[in-house]
Amino acid sequence: MLDARTGLLLWRSLWMASAAGLFAIALGWPYAIFACRFQFPGASLFRMLMPLPLLLPPLMVAQAWFGLSHMTGPWASVFTFGVCYAPLPALMAARSLRHQSASSHHAALLLGPRFALFEMLRISFLPALVGGCFAFLFSSADFAVPDYFATVGDLFHVYAAEIFGHSRNDDFTAGATASLPLLLLGFLALLGCAHLQHKQNNFETQGGPAPAPLRLPTWRLSIGLGMSALLLLLLLAPLGRIVFETGMQGPLSDRSWLEVSGQAFHDAVSRGRADVLRTLSYAGLAGLFCLLLAPLWAHMLLHSKGKIRMLLLVALTLPLLVPSVALGFGSILMFNQPWLDSFYLSIWPPALLVAGRFLPVAVWVLVARMSRSPRNQEEVAALAGCSSWLRIFRYHLGPMRSTWFLAAGLVVAFGVRELDFAILLPAANQSAAVRYYNALHFSRDNFVAAYGLVLAVLLFLPVMLHAWWLNFTQSTDDNSLS
Amino acid sequence: MARLLPALVGLLLCLSCSGSNPDLVVYCALDQDLSEPLILEFEQRTGLKVQAQYDVERNKTVGLVQRILHEAESHPHADVFWNNEIAHTLRLQHAGLTEPYQSPAAATIPSAFRDPEGHWTGFAARARVVLYRTDQDLPVPTKLDDFLKPEFAQHGAMAAPLTGTTLTNATVLAQVRGRQAMLDWFAAARAAGLAFGSGNADVMRRTAAGNFHWCFTDTDDAAKAIDQGHPLAIRYLEQGDGHTGALLIPNTLCLLKSGKNQKAARQFADFILSTEVEARLAHSISRQIPLHENTQIPDGVGRPGVDFQVMDVDWAQVGAKIGDIARLLQTEFVR
Repeated sequence: MLDARTGLLLWRSLWMASAAGLFAIALGWPYAIFACRFQFPGASLFRMLMPLPLLLPPLMVAQAWFGLSHMTGPWASVFTFGVCYAPLPALMAARSLRHQSASSHHAALLLGPRFALFEMLRISFLPALVGGCFAFLFSSADFAVPDYFATVGDLFHVYAAEIFGHSRNDDFTAGATASLPLLLLGFLALLGCAHLQHKQNNFETQGGPAPAPLRLPTWRLSIGLGMSALLLLLLLAPLGRIVFETGMQGPLSDRSWLEVSGQAFHDAVSRGRADVLRTLSYAGLAGLFCLLLAPLWAHMLLHSKGKIRMLLLVALTLPLLVPSVALGFGSILMFNQPWLDSFYLSIWPPALLVAGRFLPVAVWVLVARMSRSPRNQEEVAALAGCSSWLRIFRYHLGPMRSTWFLAAGLVVAFGVRELDFAILLPAANQSAAVRYYNALHFSRDNFVAAYGLVLAVLLFLPVMLHAWWLNFTQSTDDNSLS
Repeated sequence: MARLLPALVGLLLCLSCSGSNPDLVVYCALDQDLSEPLILEFEQRTGLKVQAQYDVERNKTVGLVQRILHEAESHPHADVFWNNEIAHTLRLQHAGLTEPYQSPAAATIPSAFRDPEGHWTGFAARARVVLYRTDQDLPVPTKLDDFLKPEFAQHGAMAAPLTGTTLTNATVLAQVRGRQAMLDWFAAARAAGLAFGSGNADVMRRTAAGNFHWCFTDTDDAAKAIDQGHPLAIRYLEQGDGHTGALLIPNTLCLLKSGKNQKAARQFADFILSTEVEARLAHSISRQIPLHENTQIPDGVGRPGVDFQVMDVDWAQVGAKIGDIARLLQTEFVR
């Protein structure tokens, strides 16, 4: 672990993931500020589309950007991760901007729009940084994207490939040992996030009306164009390229683009339909687990201190930080017993693994939201004799149902994308992710593009509905206030 | 929305309870699009219910192999392993997990591609070939050592020998020339300007896109690129007197000792190892090379020993060494 080769791999992973985190912030932070706090044509649409790039598999985005730009090497990976994870800082920053104190905004506005903008930057900086930390975390553990770009240019590797290599060579202890540095880095990143989140609470209002978006008539068009360029970079360009790839053929082919593309979509739906349903069933079950577990865990985190809080945090984040393939092998060792045969073959093991691995994401979303609930409301409920269960699910989650369902929805979305332990578990093996990567390996490029798009649309729909619901309730609130 | 929760829970519980025990469990590392219809056809013909499990790129064939090894420690599930290469099947044989079976359907497969005791049987092979562009006037390698010459190497690419058939190829090279000579060969190829990618399909795509003049890949990847209408052709290496011949890597089928459905497993082996299935794989988009002497083959698929010369390989030795070679190459290539 301590030789120059692994040191170099670790260093490369570190700088690439850091650069990806910073790039994600550079893209997502301004996107959130302009989409949430400025008036320009189509602002609500830009808000609605904000989370979507997160739902595209990074490898699919990498292929699309390579097709568009022929970029190569480590910086191409940084770019891809930055584009894929830009919604994380954007969503975090957007959430904080929605809870900016209206008085601080109006005070700054009295001094001029520049000061109001500065105030928005100040308010949303820490949440954007938290999003960047998550981008760092996900980028450091991914080796499929660097692996792809290594093919295109000079061969290079990242530390995650070293972990995978050891596991592949049946040297499982070496694989587990090798994963320790990334695990530690990830945990430090999450601790940093917790600290930043705690500091952020001081900036935000505990209720009251949100400040109105800024009206800058002379800048409307420029902002609209800038946002369109950002959206093109984050979503439209890769999607457009993938659509093109559904019918792409060589120059000697006698089939038309439409013919090939139509066949690819037909294959994607007919061959992949059952796998999609199976995937949705275990990812959906995982989402349901998180719907129940995440509020309880978030509540415990908010009401604990010192070592207990740290213990809860470690127990929560460990499944997210260990390599996914290790979870799969662990699951085989634990559940593959003669007396557990039916259970092992059912969708429960993958559902439990997805729930356990992505519970931290759901808890994070809920902690951020629940920490803004007025304490006195819960205290009054406690004095009135309400049980903890009722206090959490009625008083805390009642007014924040959309956040609650978003948290579970994110678990479902990440569960659908999960591949490494899906191969290892019987009920998850015939899943959408396994079919997608299987086809990718065997050069079914048109099918891969079409199937990727079908999956993306399936994941997009609930997120778009949630965003639409959020916009709808906000506008209703605004109308009732006015 | 919260009122929908009980209904959702009920639906998912129903989904989780659905399904029944299969009559046969097949772990399959071949392209799902090719193997799935064959497995479905086997189900239709026999009335048996097959549970098939597939593998993916990031784990190559090793995902399922690792799963077989881990499951064997406590409670094995697979009855049959259909591997798209050979080295890791031999690994299972060395681990004592395979069950001998001499399928009558495999009688016309050459003995070089069958285990003498019947622990595994090879069929529907892929050859390691050079795929090159026909629209460029540049030299194309004819033998492996051409990769070490800058005039060839600077326009070519191959996958890093970390997984799959490229790792098997490197192990065969080590067996033929010695371990250090194999490492020196890779170092010299890199120094000459040969590009190393992460997989055979990836270097194929780059060649099809015109970024390289040629690449060293498998015939199934080459066939797909040609089928997509790219101006490409293949060349077998090491042909002619005094040369070793092209490396041919077969699909392999083995029955697993711990399988609970041995009768169904044998039926499945007889079906998959038949000339009919080999012919269908030869006519498929991946143009698998038949090993049965009497299989009908389409245009563009070479018959081993007739249309091209095949390398003799001691597969047992390859299986014994591949683990060590993989570890050695990881320290050389994962940088």
